Amino acid sequence: MSVRDDRMARAGDYVLGLMEEAERLRAEADMATDAEFRAAVDLLSNRMAALDDTAGRDPVPEGMWTAIEARLVEADADAATAASSAGRSLSSAPVVDLAARRRQTAWRPALMAASIAAALGIGYLAGTTFSPRPQPVVVVVLDTPDAVPGAIFEAFADDTVRIVPLQDFAVPEGKTLQVWTLYDPAVGPVSLGTLPSAVPAVLRGPDQPLPRADQLYEITLEPAPGSPTGKPTGPILVKGFARRPPG
Amino acid sequence: MTRTDSIDDDCERLLARVAGGDRMALGQLFATEAGRLIAIARRIVRRREVAEEIVQDAFVAVWRRAASFDPARGAGRAWLTTIVRNRALNAVRDGSRLDFADEEQLALFSERSGDAHAALDALSDGDALRRCLSALEPRRRESILLAYVVGCTHGEIAARLDAPVGTVKAWIRRGVIALQECLS
Repeated sequence: MSVRDDRMARAGDYVLGLMEEAERLRAEADMATDAEFRAAVDLLSNRMAALDDTAGRDPVPEGMWTAIEARLVEADADAATAASSAGRSLSSAPVVDLAARRRQTAWRPALMAASIAAALGIGYLAGTTFSPRPQPVVVVVLDTPDAVPGAIFEAFADDTVRIVPLQDFAVPEGKTLQVWTLYDPAVGPVSLGTLPSAVPAVLRGPDQPLPRADQLYEITLEPAPGSPTGKPTGPILVKGFARRPPG
Repeated sequence: MTRTDSIDDDCERLLARVAGGDRMALGQLFATEAGRLIAIARRIVRRREVAEEIVQDAFVAVWRRAASFDPARGAGRAWLTTIVRNRALNAVRDGSRLDFADEEQLALFSERSGDAHAALDALSDGDALRRCLSALEPRRRESILLAYVVGCTHGEIAARLDAPVGTVKAWIRRGVIALQECLS
């Protein structure tokens, strides 16, 4: 077996995605110093990319960019805290951002829904400050597929979620609403419980990590008394990403 | 200049602006690439919501890491795709597929195998990759497609093709060497 063959075989394993994490990181480090290995990887990955293009295009959910933008703000705050001198200008970013919003009119409905939802969320929270109960770790505004706010969740540190539906979801005979969260794509969606109809409720889910910003929450329509597979099988009625309330 | 070349150029220009902290450039990149990237991730993870999550995470990662993109190595689009592919592969390798019952697992297998073949069939006739893949011994070709297109592991390919893992590794080794010889 020649050195050249070994190099091509290793480039193949890298590009096909067959390496363990540690092996992959080592290969990426080697690319910085080994021009021949790097060239082999580039040749193969650029050619194999033709197969990626055969996947076509999936619809992009409304509101997805809004969710990403919210996380960019957090990422920038982290970078600023780290006193990075990378030259990423925080002061100019909002101006650029507004220009983007004006130009990308397609995003506007999602943004409007998000602001309405945010207003509802704040109003809802303001109404609860009289009671001495614990503050939620995150608040979630869940949108329908039409990007209309359909429910508000408050998730607490004790694995409970307080649910306030904003719409009356039709629940046919033999069906139930099931509430899910995704805190780790590797674990997959985790059921927090079921609701017979769209009424305010508090559900206690299984033991899980502290809810965090951007965690996905959703309600699906499932056969009663709940999804037979333990994972969502029915249509998504509402879906949203968690936000951390300020303070 | 072909269409793909001009898309690549756009991608690289946008990535350079993203590296300079231009959020609008990232937005444009999202507008042109998100649908394609979700489709690529979904072929691997099989669930739309998970694919969407992966692409969302990837764009945040691009924002943080755009400065590490090296235009000298070419294709910005390929760089984006690699970030999404690696995240999708990590998600399935961590065992989330074990959630499926045996019967579902079997159905999933044939679905994935179908996707892998469809990808090869969808390559244009003049594509060198199509010619070179078609010239490979069938089991080598199948192993390579299952790994790349739908993210199968050596073990999954072995189960699918009813062969020992060591044999599959040898098929892939000889297959990717022959493929690179043919492409270069």
